[in-house]
Amino acid sequence: MLLSLNNIEVVYDRVFLAVKSISIDVPEGGLVALLGANGAGKSTTLKSISGLLKPERGEVTRGAIAFQGHDLLDLDPPERVRAGIVHVLEGRRVFGQLTPEENLLAAASMHRSAAHVRQLKERVFAWFPRLTERARTKSGYLSGGEQQMLAIGRALMTEPKLLLLDEPSLGLAPFLVDEIFDIIRRINKEAGVAVLLVEQNAAAALEVAERAYLVENGRVVMSGSAEVVKGNPDVEAAYLGGGHSIDYRAVKHYRRRKRWLA
Amino acid sequence: MDLWLIGELAITGALVGLMYALVAVGIVLVYKTSSVANFAQGAIAMTGSYVAWAFATLMGAPLWVAIPLALVTMFGLGFVIERAVLRHMVGQPIIMIIMVTFGMEIFLRGMMPGFFGVAVKRLDLGIPQAPMFLGEMLINRAYLIGGITSAVLIVGTIVLFNSRAGIIMRAVSDDQGASWSVGIRVERAIAIAWGLAAGTATAAGILWGSTQGVDWSLSLLLMKALAIAILGGLDSIPGVLLAGVIVGVCESLATGIVDPLVGGGTRDIVASLIILMTLLVRPYGLFGREQIERV
Repeated sequence: MLLSLNNIEVVYDRVFLAVKSISIDVPEGGLVALLGANGAGKSTTLKSISGLLKPERGEVTRGAIAFQGHDLLDLDPPERVRAGIVHVLEGRRVFGQLTPEENLLAAASMHRSAAHVRQLKERVFAWFPRLTERARTKSGYLSGGEQQMLAIGRALMTEPKLLLLDEPSLGLAPFLVDEIFDIIRRINKEAGVAVLLVEQNAAAALEVAERAYLVENGRVVMSGSAEVVKGNPDVEAAYLGGGHSIDYRAVKHYRRRKRWLA
Repeated sequence: MDLWLIGELAITGALVGLMYALVAVGIVLVYKTSSVANFAQGAIAMTGSYVAWAFATLMGAPLWVAIPLALVTMFGLGFVIERAVLRHMVGQPIIMIIMVTFGMEIFLRGMMPGFFGVAVKRLDLGIPQAPMFLGEMLINRAYLIGGITSAVLIVGTIVLFNSRAGIIMRAVSDDQGASWSVGIRVERAIAIAWGLAAGTATAAGILWGSTQGVDWSLSLLLMKALAIAILGGLDSIPGVLLAGVIVGVCESLATGIVDPLVGGGTRDIVASLIILMTLLVRPYGLFGREQIERV
């Protein structure tokens, strides 16, 4: 396993329990989706992997996170990036005052050789030809889709082994969502980068993912291959927009869902 | 009013302004990377000139050794300030951080004369006293060399900010969380900014110390530097360059033209007036960045 989370618990401000018990495995070169509603603990889980809990006063209080067999919890975020984990934050968070090109260069602080950085930059521009056209405008003025591409491209500058993506489809038009997910799949297949994808857009995520975990209230309530998760009637009703009619099955499913919450 | 006099006042003012601007650069550097207002910059400049004087006079080092030594020492002090003081202030309200930097200003202002003695020290850079003639204008050589040195150093920081290291520092100022997420060592970038701020302040302190002697009053450069940083727009180094010239020329003209009419004392009003007017009319300064708001 490239990454394995074993039963982690995350507490914010020493009191607020955001993640109760989450165990996730991401295989080498895998594409795994983490699904769930608002506030389920998906983003918190990603932050516990990248180490970005600390600025938000969060802490992993129980469990273990291993990356390529090494314990991650002692490393600070820049060290984790150097180990090969990069986190594309929710809401894109590009450096708005910098041009796209400078955004990419800023993310290459771990590489000494200028030639190598140039090579990486060219590779990103090849992935996202749209950024080439806007390379000299301030990134704050790019469209939402372009910013998302830039955020992913910026993350690729660190040469990750594992890409953590938090809601890449947030606030994007449907055709852009398709484009972004297409790119994610290509990055996974062609560059061999493992991806852990957090999404509310379950339909799009299950299209590309190999495995999926369903998180509710800080716990993993279901996991399996994407087909199995997609085929589950509860998931279909709650996340994929199936089951519009109110019938006894739907009621039953609702109750079945309630059991997980207990 | 004769034009030669105005020309002389303007040129001297511009040169002096550039020397002020060299103090202001450090305020901008720190604000740009960490959004902290650095009110200790005046006292850091003063400390730098004391350190240079100590190396040159107390230890008898020749100038070409004493000045680089002072710059390196002060770069280190800037690092220490970030490490020992500001890192502990992360997440505190902005007013607390301002008070801490201001507290450092007062501490150093009292500490240095207390340690080295209050008498004015002579820091001689070997610049001839005799003025240079430009037509009928007299130009003070110390200001000429000081102004040019300052301009070169400021342009140097601009170049640095467009290099890879500078891009990383700008990224940190833009979004610390996102910087962290892509592996930037945020604390180190901020420490380097403080080191550079202390280094440029020391260069300014040495230049000013050589013209007016080394004593606590060098820390008053803070007022001029603040005026320049605010007028230029706290996060723009080219803004500092222009604002420095503006402040210097205004001061010089006020001294040369208004003073004889009102009986003196206008020099120190200029900086305060500029701070006030900028904040009222254009709070983000001449070149300050606007917040990008996509609609």
